[in-house]
Amino acid sequence: MYHLLKGLHEYLTRKEEFSVIIIGLDGAGKTTLLEKIKTLYNDIPGLTPDKIGPTVGQNTGKITLPSTILQFWDLGGQRGIRNIWHRYFDDCHAVVYVIDAEDRERLSEGWEVFDSVLSAPQILGVPLLLLANKQDSPQSLSVDEIRHDYEDWYQRKLESARRTSRYGEGENEITARRQRIASLDVMGISALEGTGVRAAVDWLFIRVQNSRRDVGTGGTT
Amino acid sequence: MGLSISTLFSSLTSLVRWSKEQDVRILMLGLDSAGKTTILYRLQIGEVVSTIPTIGFNVETVQVSATNTSNYLFPAFTTLCQFKNIKFQVWDLGGQSSIRPYWRCYFPNTSAIIYVIDSADHARMGTSRTELLTMLAEEELKGVPLLVFCNKQDIEGALKPEEISEQLGLAGGEKTRPWSVRGSSATKGEGLEEGLDWLVNAIQQK
Repeated sequence: MYHLLKGLHEYLTRKEEFSVIIIGLDGAGKTTLLEKIKTLYNDIPGLTPDKIGPTVGQNTGKITLPSTILQFWDLGGQRGIRNIWHRYFDDCHAVVYVIDAEDRERLSEGWEVFDSVLSAPQILGVPLLLLANKQDSPQSLSVDEIRHDYEDWYQRKLESARRTSRYGEGENEITARRQRIASLDVMGISALEGTGVRAAVDWLFIRVQNSRRDVGTGGTT
Repeated sequence: MGLSISTLFSSLTSLVRWSKEQDVRILMLGLDSAGKTTILYRLQIGEVVSTIPTIGFNVETVQVSATNTSNYLFPAFTTLCQFKNIKFQVWDLGGQSSIRPYWRCYFPNTSAIIYVIDSADHARMGTSRTELLTMLAEEELKGVPLLVFCNKQDIEGALKPEEISEQLGLAGGEKTRPWSVRGSSATKGEGLEEGLDWLVNAIQQK
């Protein structure tokens, strides 16, 4: 009888766990975002921004939402560490790409990297959220401007690809990408002040529920 | 003069508050002369108590490791340091393969690992890497936060944390645990407090 009740209790209180990876260039504010999420959702506050430096390694964080646990992975963004991101793609349920909306000089570098993330086959069906960070700064590009900047960058890239030898390469690929971009959500946040962070987490919460993908069913892969 | 007791205290009080009467076991490991003892003294963790190993270590073996860490009070393999309610258990691997099988006796209930690397010791980087990876493969240390101090950054020719991180190859392989590779200079007291802040946060969020 005890086991029956215990089993029932476990069934009713069971929480599904989803993995979310946070990526982007170095200095975009990934760790500040993660620590802010921890502060907003957990009893124990995360690190304050003044104690955060460049990440060589990975930070993790877990937050509990109704019937759901979101497990975050904040991965370092320096050039040398970026090539490990793909190792996390297979097991993740959502991807957050953080862009520094204030740093205009590095936008195209950011898009270059973002583009490679977009076209990674492992995460084609995974919810992807683009966050235009540092909205607290008056110099920052707005969400619309960020979206346009990416589209402009992409058009330029296509044209230069046409001019060089790779003309007509992968029409299907381009269509797939178009669909991906069309369904891409962009949100503005300030990880420093916390504006927009809850909206971003809500977005993740809803999207991971809707696009449940069976990653390593059974837990052992 | 680098770290003062008070700045370190403030970064640790949060952990103390959180872990009332809790035994937080933080292992500080690394090859000999990486700078563990210097870090320890730099951190000024109150009273340093030395314990004689509970398992039968050969005293001679112990002394070999103790010669490199001359400022240990006793020729003991492990050093138990207590700061308020936090216990740092510090030990020097010394590199002797004969006693390595016993390390695992200390692994259960470990809250965090601090691994210290001599950034200027290019020749033994491979050994340091092997020791670290072997240890991380232990089931009992699964998911335990790891802080790597790339120590001796003040020495010319010292490898940068990014370079060492690449050599260690933790990226991608250590998905379950939070880990951080940071530069430090124990003699100048640089990077230690920041690293500890990170570690305390990582332990609390477990």
